[in-house]
Amino acid sequence: MDDALLVIGFGNSLRSDDGVGPRVADAVGRLRLPGVRTIARIQLTPELADPISRARAVVFVDAAVDQAEPTLMHRLDPFDHSHILAHSADPRFLLALARDAFGTAPEAWLLTVRAEDLGFGERLSPAAKRGLRAAVREVLSLHRDLDGRGDLQPPFVAAAARMVRPLIHVRA
Amino acid sequence: MTTTTSKRIVIDPVSRIEGHAKISIYLDSAGQVSDAEFHVVEFRGFEKFCEGRPYSEMPGITSRICGICPVSHMLASAKAGDAIMAVAVPPAADKLRRLMNLGQIIQSHALSFFQLSGPDLLLGWDAAPSKRNVFGLIAADPELARAAIRLRQFGQEVIEELGGKKIHPAWAVPGGVRAPLTEEGRARIRKWLPEAFATAERGLGLSEKVLETHKAEALIFGNFPSLFMGLVSPDGTWEHHGGKLRFTDSSGSVIADQVEPARYRDYIAESVQDSSYLKSPYFKALGMPGGMYRVGPLARLNICERMGVPLATAQLRAFKQMGRGAVTSSFLYHHARLIEILASIELIERALDDPDLFSSDLRADAGVNSLHGVGASEAPRGTLFHDYTVDRYGILTKVNLIVATGHNNLAMNRTVAQIARHYVRGDDIPEAVLNRIEHGIRCYDPCLSCSTHAAGQMPMRIRLVGPAGEVIREVTRG
Repeated sequence: MDDALLVIGFGNSLRSDDGVGPRVADAVGRLRLPGVRTIARIQLTPELADPISRARAVVFVDAAVDQAEPTLMHRLDPFDHSHILAHSADPRFLLALARDAFGTAPEAWLLTVRAEDLGFGERLSPAAKRGLRAAVREVLSLHRDLDGRGDLQPPFVAAAARMVRPLIHVRA
Repeated sequence: MTTTTSKRIVIDPVSRIEGHAKISIYLDSAGQVSDAEFHVVEFRGFEKFCEGRPYSEMPGITSRICGICPVSHMLASAKAGDAIMAVAVPPAADKLRRLMNLGQIIQSHALSFFQLSGPDLLLGWDAAPSKRNVFGLIAADPELARAAIRLRQFGQEVIEELGGKKIHPAWAVPGGVRAPLTEEGRARIRKWLPEAFATAERGLGLSEKVLETHKAEALIFGNFPSLFMGLVSPDGTWEHHGGKLRFTDSSGSVIADQVEPARYRDYIAESVQDSSYLKSPYFKALGMPGGMYRVGPLARLNICERMGVPLATAQLRAFKQMGRGAVTSSFLYHHARLIEILASIELIERALDDPDLFSSDLRADAGVNSLHGVGASEAPRGTLFHDYTVDRYGILTKVNLIVATGHNNLAMNRTVAQIARHYVRGDDIPEAVLNRIEHGIRCYDPCLSCSTHAAGQMPMRIRLVGPAGEVIREVTRG
């Protein structure tokens, strides 16, 4: 295993709130949590299956226009549907690819962040900014839960706890 | 989804191509296939909405046209910007741009051969659609599937080491590039090389077997005389970023050489079909239809004399034996892609020893010195032109993009017609025939979202049209 927790944020940073996923990944990455790797992408591509297969757990972070809550966490299972898009893939497809091609699909979640504005632009709406902060807290909470189950090495959690305060000031 | 009525067969969509399209197959009064057309029916209009933007923004804007070859657009756009500034980019910047383009060629070709075409070639035309996909490929040969994914990953890593992002890196700019390679980045790229070489060699071996078992397809899938166009160096060596244009015919004879890309309009005209948003370029001097030409891996290997690196040059020699004069079958695009992957890996290996890659002299600076600039680069699918006209403040007043799928449009039509003529009998189009028609298009690895600037996924339909223009059958598959 290369990483205890892999956070993959995806979306288009030039389409306002659609870019909240990569911003969550970047925000988590700036915390430099031991055992946590972050990847920010405009879209999901097949070769991500390799790092996914080498993680103990993975969280995909995406914007969602059809939810009222700032964030929602969904459990994900691999889904080997036959339809593959070369440009992009969905998280369940990547999990199936990780499982079938690389032998392991880790526990996985999709963390959706409420989006209001998908117009051209690089700023987040107030709702997405709130969602971004909530999403980072969700990732940390997941990190603690994984440790509680013994899935993470002890030093990870201690470091994570020390980093909680800066999260409040995460820039949107 | 497949729907069939008494008058229509509809295929929706043709899967594993980039974007969406519709095919019409025309029958004559004897019920024989007389012609075919490949239509692209959605519109994106990048050329129009770029007007009014500063030319300096164009590498960033146009790289968003496509998630598969953003690097190609970024590089051609930066080169058009170089021309507007009338500067020569520093040698280090040119070498770094080349390095990124090689990464782009590897990742795109690996995807095309192994993941998009591999299921057809390795599992067979008649395999169930539920199996004829990347998971079917994994089940059949997991080690190969894994290696193929990692080969694409290698190409993406090269792009990321330079541009900071795998997709849409805002790195090349008019006048040069923003950042050099780092020592750590070079070490990471170098570490990949043995595995990349091994996968490329394995792919070539596999492709040779495919050619043995698909001799019929090689004769039918786009096997016809045409012209070929691409960039070559002054001594005729394979090019992918610099060089000048060369046109050859199907006998292998050079009919135009060392043409400045900025003069492409003297050699290429574009016709517009009512039925498609995809324009149809042709070699002006020969008119239509004699001026039909092909671009991309097949064309690049046909027009060049050597690859500039030993392993790929040996492969090129063997490749050239597969044709008389030029290799005229579009089915051989696949094999050409693998040779280009090998060449790209060899060139990356060679480039990594160049100290210029770490130079800080990366960008020439100037204002607007020319109101017109053309940038040309070899995208994985073929020659890409960005042609900009600006006002004296550098604001774009006109943009023309000619992309590989456009160049290949006439040849794709002819390929579909050739396959249909061979396999379509009456008004029945069985699944295996649909798969072959799809694959005929896939040989070109077309990127329709790019060539038409079309948004989202477009449905694909095949229409069988009778001699009076009546639709006999229409097939939609999805």
